[in-house]
Amino acid sequence: MLATLLSATLVALDGRVIRVEVDVAPGMPGFTIVGLADVGIREARERVRGALRNAGFVHPPRRITVNLAPADLPKTGTAADLAIAIGILVGSEQFTPRPGRAALIGELSLGGEVRTVPGLLPMVLALARRGVARIVVPADGAAEARLVGGVEILPAGSIPEAVDALRARPRSSPRQPDRVELAAAGVGDAPASGSVSVPTPNDGPDLADVRGHAEARRALEVALAGGHGLLLMGPPGTGKTLLARTIPSLQPALEDHEALTATIVASVSGEGPMVGLVRRAPYRAPHHTSSYAAMVGGGPALAPGEVTRADHGVLFLDELAEFSRDVLEALRQPLEDGRVTIVRARGAVTLPARFQLVAAMNPCPCGHAGGDDGACVCRPGVAEKYVGRISGPLRDRIDLWVGMPRIPARVMLTNVEPEPSAAVAARIAAARARQLARPGRALNARISGRMLRAAARLSPADQARLAAMSEVERLSGRGTERLLRVARTIADLAEADAVLAPHLDEAARWRAPAARPLNALAL
Amino acid sequence: MKPRDGARRLLGRSTPWRSEVLGVGTGPEATDETRFASQLASEDRAALAVLVSVQGLGPITLGRLLAAIGSPAAILSVANGPHGQRALVAAGVDRESPSRSMADAVAEAIVDAGRRRHEILDGIATLALRVVAVGDPDYPPRLLAIEIPPVALFVRGNIGSLSADHSVAVVGTRRPTEAGRRVASRIAASLARAGAVVVSGLAVGIDGAAHAAVITEQCPTIAFIGSGHNRLFPAAHDRLADAIIEAGGAIVSEYAPDTEPTKWTFPRRNRLISGAADAVVIVEAGAKSGALLTGSWALEQGRDCFVVPGSIDAQMSAGCLGFLRDWPGLVRVVSGIPQLLEDLGLTPSAAYATPLLPSTPTSNVRLPTTDSILGGLAPDERVVGSALLEGAVIVDEIVAVTGLSVGAVLGALTRLEAAGKLSASHGRYRLEGAWATRAPRRLARAPEPASERATPAA
Repeated sequence: MLATLLSATLVALDGRVIRVEVDVAPGMPGFTIVGLADVGIREARERVRGALRNAGFVHPPRRITVNLAPADLPKTGTAADLAIAIGILVGSEQFTPRPGRAALIGELSLGGEVRTVPGLLPMVLALARRGVARIVVPADGAAEARLVGGVEILPAGSIPEAVDALRARPRSSPRQPDRVELAAAGVGDAPASGSVSVPTPNDGPDLADVRGHAEARRALEVALAGGHGLLLMGPPGTGKTLLARTIPSLQPALEDHEALTATIVASVSGEGPMVGLVRRAPYRAPHHTSSYAAMVGGGPALAPGEVTRADHGVLFLDELAEFSRDVLEALRQPLEDGRVTIVRARGAVTLPARFQLVAAMNPCPCGHAGGDDGACVCRPGVAEKYVGRISGPLRDRIDLWVGMPRIPARVMLTNVEPEPSAAVAARIAAARARQLARPGRALNARISGRMLRAAARLSPADQARLAAMSEVERLSGRGTERLLRVARTIADLAEADAVLAPHLDEAARWRAPAARPLNALAL
Repeated sequence: MKPRDGARRLLGRSTPWRSEVLGVGTGPEATDETRFASQLASEDRAALAVLVSVQGLGPITLGRLLAAIGSPAAILSVANGPHGQRALVAAGVDRESPSRSMADAVAEAIVDAGRRRHEILDGIATLALRVVAVGDPDYPPRLLAIEIPPVALFVRGNIGSLSADHSVAVVGTRRPTEAGRRVASRIAASLARAGAVVVSGLAVGIDGAAHAAVITEQCPTIAFIGSGHNRLFPAAHDRLADAIIEAGGAIVSEYAPDTEPTKWTFPRRNRLISGAADAVVIVEAGAKSGALLTGSWALEQGRDCFVVPGSIDAQMSAGCLGFLRDWPGLVRVVSGIPQLLEDLGLTPSAAYATPLLPSTPTSNVRLPTTDSILGGLAPDERVVGSALLEGAVIVDEIVAVTGLSVGAVLGALTRLEAAGKLSASHGRYRLEGAWATRAPRRLARAPEPASERATPAA
């Protein structure tokens, strides 16, 4: 007998509905799966056989053919295990489900338990959008699945539980398929069952743990307030990494639509099961030996890379100059478009990658250039070459270049208590709110040039000042615009409506190192 | 390192040179050749400039060619004549040791240079360089007296500064400490005020600080560079080079304009720095610093050599102290700037050099007051400037001393930098120009807990 059930698979971040057709026919006992299934799915044969037997069902000694449709969509993962197993039970007439469209998602253990799968949330979302009324999901993923409203979630911890769920009377709640996404985001009037957002404890360091570095702390505040690219340069051990690790304590919570994307990315990346929407902005710090695929995304299952996992958050690249050239070059497109495209023989997939770049590096290969101790053993020119490894497109995305000197003990040991993260985070949130309230509704780092000039409201005198600065510094048009972007953010932190001379001066402190210094005699 | 050994090793020879190099110096044949040199015709000077541009043609081979052919212009006409290359090779044979005869490749290069002579001379003219050859009346007399004077010098700027009455070289490491940089600035400025032309090498670090301090005094300073004028190294010093010319100084090279800087050109150039000066002052030098080589040359050339002593723990004083130990009685110590001027026979004019040692009897020395330095500045710049004068280096220290917000301090630093009073490097700030020549005071008070926390509002 033929049984047809629904399940889902993943294409990058998108769930796709698939039909699982199981034919249990007389003939030589056998078990075949067709329909562009990857290794993970073909191995389902063994899992399903074991799971059915150990759950007290019979794996029929008949000719079993499983077809996964649409047949031209490559299917990956183990999410269809449960649907295949139930299809065999229905096909061999071991039980009859209640009529009505139902879908099943879950991986099976040999003991017959149902386990959750990465990407459960986008799969449920895709099924709900297709109008599926009831979805059987792994019990441990129920909370994640319930982020999607307007659909009945039937948690099942094992095959018998799944069978019971499919036999049960459907909950008579009117479906609202057009509200599906709203519910997922936890807004609108559709009830989102389950908890909507879960505060994740921040176990990283607090700014109160960072002593000294007044300049770098200020630069970090400005960068996070305006979404600007930031580069911290300083000798090893000065606290560049420590400072960067305080970023999670400073990032504002995600907006609803950002949180939905973040939750989907986390789910697909296997961080699940998710218990609520991810409200904490991502902070990703890949190691400098990371591969191209790890950074951009890819692999057979089109797993999201670091740039996507940092979407709406911060991508921190420690030891920037040590990353391989390919990996840094791959950051070009995401830095410019906020998206990354992975091109495959079968077509291209575009993933979101709207991250803020924060990087740290030593000023030279030995790390000690610019210090007072004469400890640098690099030849002249080597430090410049080292910094020169950062290619043009990357440079263009770094709005703030900040030197972090070694902090002398007399500064470290003062009893001035460093300002805690909470106070700084409040200023950052306020400055962001000011920016998002302006026309354009974007952070200063991403607003269009026209909008920026309108928002800057420079007086003619300050206009001339900016022109003079870019003249002396031989700044490009883009460099001048960067200076103005940072100045606009400084003005936002100061709650000023117009960018004033002091804001420009402060912004100029962190301009990119010029070919020649501002002061002709500076050596 | 013994100075003589060092010099020999560098130039790779131990036979008497002087007679071979255009007959200049004190060698026996000197008189004949000098006669030729003193009548150097302009076409000969041009021909010399072309010959110096030839890769692989050193002073010895050139001397041999001159002895065999006659004049620089004659060498070029032989080269451009029929069978030029063969004729040159024949003229360049060293009869005493044939293995050192001129290589065919060099002869070929001479022929090639002869063909391109107009192009080469145009290049020199475009750079507004003056070519001064041995024997020209304005060839620096001090350099004539060294063992191997350069055949020709390419001079940009005021050639007269090379023949000043007093000339002192200030050299040192390319990676100085703050203190070393400041000492170099003060010494150079004091020497300039006392009327000496300061000679150095246009390198980053001590050299650059010395040049810059002299320029601030609007006095001439001379830079001997280790590359051609077209290949200024480090390139970042091109503005400094321009400022040297504006202040009435000169940039001098013995290399043709397109010569690349290499490992070998710099040590060779060092002999000119010491040779063009009456004395050499080494401010800071690591154990293997090239500045020590300049010092060795100074001793070999009979110049006075001074080192600024430092702590035995200080990396950048190791070279100075080691040099002092190697040459007791020859190398002298800078015990203070007035003392240095006295040792050099210079009169401290209105020099306001502050004593390095507080006990030295220099009561009539005038110090600029904080007000005279900070006058005319806006309030924020004034307090930030005085914090820097008190020895603050990083923003934390400036904030602690001034009580200003971080944003205000950063803005003031930018304005001071734009005014040329400050330079910044990796989050450290230091004074420039006249400010730098003032001795630092101790950080007057320990950074105290600022009562109002620094807020971001500027």
